[in-house]
Amino acid sequence: MEILGALTFVNTYTLAELEVGEHFLWKIGNFTVHGQVFLNSWIVIGLLVIASLAATRNIQKIPGGIQNFMEFVLEFIRDLVRNQIGEKEYRDWVPFIGTLFLFIFVSNWSGALVPWKLIELPSGELAAPTNDINTTLALALLTSLAYFYAGLKKKGLSYFKHYIEPTPVLLPIAILEDFTKPLSLSFRLFGNILADELVVAVLVLLVPLFIPLPVMALGLFTSAIQALVFATLAGAYIHEALVDHHD
Amino acid sequence: MFDFDATLPLMAVQFLLLTALLNAVFYKPLMKVLDEREDYLRSGDTGSKDKLAKAESIVKEYERQIAQARRESQDLIQKAQAEAKEITTTKVAAAQQEVQSQREAATQEIEQQKAAAFATLEQQVDSLSRQILEKILDPELVK
Repeated sequence: MEILGALTFVNTYTLAELEVGEHFLWKIGNFTVHGQVFLNSWIVIGLLVIASLAATRNIQKIPGGIQNFMEFVLEFIRDLVRNQIGEKEYRDWVPFIGTLFLFIFVSNWSGALVPWKLIELPSGELAAPTNDINTTLALALLTSLAYFYAGLKKKGLSYFKHYIEPTPVLLPIAILEDFTKPLSLSFRLFGNILADELVVAVLVLLVPLFIPLPVMALGLFTSAIQALVFATLAGAYIHEALVDHHD
Repeated sequence: MFDFDATLPLMAVQFLLLTALLNAVFYKPLMKVLDEREDYLRSGDTGSKDKLAKAESIVKEYERQIAQARRESQDLIQKAQAEAKEITTTKVAAAQQEVQSQREAATQEIEQQKAAAFATLEQQVDSLSRQILEKILDPELVK
């Protein structure tokens, strides 16, 4: 017990600079909420909404400036969703998957680009909302709900037939999949972003100048890739639920 | 690190709200713009294709008309040439005929005059021979 206590002491001591696992807690009734996650997610949401409003405030037939940029973003998202879900049904899913991508991407990059450390919080620190497991699991569970909704809406109760088709032998695996999908989605994103921030933080602690820069650049790259992977997998899961196995 | 609390459901709700909000201010208007632009380009494309086809058909029509006009002019020239040839042949034939008839008339006249001349000569033969005789011989002898 003493050793364990010493370990936690060492842990809190060495990580005190990084402040992993410390939260700026808010209390709402009987529930606690991680305030720093929400604060930062509001910044991200604000950015997205402002960019959208700026792009669509004065829509031109020949786009320019911010509208052009946001159209480029939208076309990227549209192509991503269309590639995953297919020409016929992709339109309904552009908002959901697109928002997943945008929210995760902007969150990741905000965590990697903005020196949040400069803003003092009573406890914890501002960081990418996606380095909190609550956020990633929330997004992953929404994805699960989305593909269940997609399957049930298209096929009704016969959607559940895919558990025993082509053979009931695979039933346990098929059921297991519904749990592994959100699990892998949320942990992949959470792990990548947290690990990236930790690596950068540790390197900054060790060598404050220049050495962490390549790792930061790598962090930007992985952040973008993780957003793309999350959105692509969400699209793939929804497509899997929509696809007809009979024809 | 893995401390789940009310952040999770609240974040989920917040994300859904963000989706709805972005759908209203981002996806819907911009998708509409993209679709409209695509429609516009497609209609412009078909419109220009129509115009091109029309222009080509007009060119073809004109070419056909030109060919027809050329054929007609060719026909006209040939006809005119044939007519001219016919006219010349008839004229030449007529002229030849006239020449022939004139020549015939001339020969006839010559024949007539010849005959007349012979006749007068016949008549004069007697008196002339008498005169010759009178000249050579003694006129008394002749009487």
